Amino acid sequence: MATSRSESRRAPSLRKDEPSAPPFRRVLVANRGEIAVRIIRACHELGMEAVAVYSDADAAATHVRLADRAVRLGPAAPTESYLRIDAVVQAALDTGAEAIHPGYGFLAERAAFARAVEEAGLAFVGPPSASIDALGDKLHARRIAHEVGVAAVPGTLEPAPIDRADHLAAIVAEAERIGFPLLVKAAAGGGGRGMRRVTAASELPAALVSGSREAASAFGDGSVYLEREIIPARHIEVQLLGDAGGRVVALGERDCSLQRRHQKLVEEAPAPGLEPDDRTRLHELAVRVAAAAGLRNAATAEFLRAPDGSFYFLEVNTRLQVEHGVTELVAGVDIVREQFLLAAGRALSDAALAAAGRAASPDGHAIEVRLSAEDPARDFAPTPGRVVRWTMPSGPGVRVDTAIESGDRVPAEYDNLIAKVMVHAGDRGAAIDRLRRALDETEIAGIQTTLPFHRFVARDPSFRAAELSTGWVGDHWDGPAALRRAIEAAQLAAGLAAMDAAVAAGGASVAARPAAVGAAAPDRDGRWHRSGLESAQDRWPR
Amino acid sequence: MTAVRRPEAVPSAGDGRMPDPRGVRVSLAPGTAVSDVPPLVLEPPQIPVAPAARVTGRGLLGGAAPVRPAPPPDPETHRHVLANGQPIEAELVPLDAVRSMLLRGGPAGTRDRVLILPPSPAPGAARGVARQEVVVDGWRVELEIEPAARAALRERARRGREEVGEHGPTEVHAIIPGVVVSVSVAAGDAVTAGQQLLVVEAMKMQNELRAPRDGTIDRVGVGAGTKIEVGDLLLVIS
Repeated sequence: MATSRSESRRAPSLRKDEPSAPPFRRVLVANRGEIAVRIIRACHELGMEAVAVYSDADAAATHVRLADRAVRLGPAAPTESYLRIDAVVQAALDTGAEAIHPGYGFLAERAAFARAVEEAGLAFVGPPSASIDALGDKLHARRIAHEVGVAAVPGTLEPAPIDRADHLAAIVAEAERIGFPLLVKAAAGGGGRGMRRVTAASELPAALVSGSREAASAFGDGSVYLEREIIPARHIEVQLLGDAGGRVVALGERDCSLQRRHQKLVEEAPAPGLEPDDRTRLHELAVRVAAAAGLRNAATAEFLRAPDGSFYFLEVNTRLQVEHGVTELVAGVDIVREQFLLAAGRALSDAALAAAGRAASPDGHAIEVRLSAEDPARDFAPTPGRVVRWTMPSGPGVRVDTAIESGDRVPAEYDNLIAKVMVHAGDRGAAIDRLRRALDETEIAGIQTTLPFHRFVARDPSFRAAELSTGWVGDHWDGPAALRRAIEAAQLAAGLAAMDAAVAAGGASVAARPAAVGAAAPDRDGRWHRSGLESAQDRWPR
Repeated sequence: MTAVRRPEAVPSAGDGRMPDPRGVRVSLAPGTAVSDVPPLVLEPPQIPVAPAARVTGRGLLGGAAPVRPAPPPDPETHRHVLANGQPIEAELVPLDAVRSMLLRGGPAGTRDRVLILPPSPAPGAARGVARQEVVVDGWRVELEIEPAARAALRERARRGREEVGEHGPTEVHAIIPGVVVSVSVAAGDAVTAGQQLLVVEAMKMQNELRAPRDGTIDRVGVGAGTKIEVGDLLLVIS
């Protein structure tokens, strides 16, 4: 459904411009990869110019080619390019951009960045810096939830001391109270970075130190806290939109239970198996926390669902999520477009309000898989490199968000997500069928990706039965065994190809010497070859 | 859809790397996550082949008696090959320059789409070994292909060498590219299997590298901040 801009707005004074005019003239997209492409597309659809920023590793990247202008930020290392707040804001000022969209990752959840953008007189396409401060610190968010009566995952509400030996006994006692296994999590965290699983008190000090070190390197803030690990749990999150008038609505929820190392692999909307009452209650909890934090623009409230059906608040991500697309497909709302309109001060659109009204009983089903440059046989270790073949699926109900083309290099410096394959169909079963078909059409060579894992998911009976939990990958996926089967087929295929080639080149003559054959032109009428071709043609009559 | 075998589907024979049609050995290239899959030796079926030189022509050659060309092999028979000495039914039907369909186990068997990328010479390997990337079910498999006879010779030579250097030092190589964050051991340290050796940051994740066996650190080749590529020597345990 297209976003409609009718005349029936409640707060016309908030309108920055005529309803039909673009919310901004020019927007700087402070990101790279598929999300930069996604945002640039929304800019162009709204009639706005897009300014890309890039590091030396991305000088020829898709998002740079797609944008109307591009500004170099610095060398490949993120700290010298995409994480430089001063350089990004200056690029926006230099190019005359009126707004900055941060995407996800990099600076998206840095309150200091949002503040710098606001102070430069530009619009930040995301929640205001105050909301990011309030919600971006997970500890603070847990306290807000506590205050408005939303149950958070049991754990601590203050940062754990990590370098004070005299406080160690206290934190260990606290851990014993919470119960093992528990998780050490970074207050500034996201994407599982800085997170450590602790099964016994003896492991706690080391986990606190290494988690804090990773958090400090990833976010510049080493604060960590403790949280009980709920197992088995489902990870369910609610997409929120809020306008400057203080109105916050939920567009629907997503189930993101399939994770490894706390990074999502598969996401779907709506969450299977929820009754309309469950949905209404969950959406209400999410709106309550977000409204208490003064949320504007777009954000996502994450919850864990325990086996008894109760929801525990986890955190609020004050940014566009990687997996926003599945909600867009089911709700019929373009979330990035809404973000721009909201950032320009407009009220929630009729399309967004209508979608929020339908959110408790959604139509249709969407699934997204994240194709990443990772080896699913080696515990999803990163596999950067050059993509030599890249064929993405298409056809009914298939959406692919990517910035990769054949021949591109996946740099080791950045996130390893290279494509999001989304499918949309009338119900969950049809969506899984469509996913299986789409992934069968997908061809990638040159680097190992998570494609084999996703093909497995699309065929797995327990996924179809919606038996989802955050431990699903560990319980169901045996990467080395799947790889072994593929190796056997690959060996056979390569051997047959080599023999066919040898026969075609030298005939079946046992006496043929490589030197003599090398001089002769390959005989493409080798008898074996010809009969193979004939049988191939028999098999493929059209 | 029409399946036409395009000329590019056949690797050029003019480079001297053409495998011998009498048999090929396909082994995993070094660095694959799973290393316990044995090499596959594939040989042609044991069917009679016309003993004379190939006859391409019209029947009369220099006054010799007419020679009948051998009939093309029976299409059913030629799908049989010997895999590690065992007869199996398998056939590769090329769809284009890269895509093929692998049929196994006859008409009721399995069908897998495979991508066979153009071969490249294996780095540092003997002449006659080609490296080839094959993609099956999303898995990228790097293989080394060589004539079976030559592989057998090389295998014998390698075994001889191994018997000499049975208890040599273990080299720890990088399995992912990235930047070394910290090194927790120094030369001379005793380590036990599973002990953390160093931390590598790649794609924003910190990965701990652990000792593959007990021993003493012989040499450390990297320090904090070193940028590493796959295969780089990190340290040596003796």
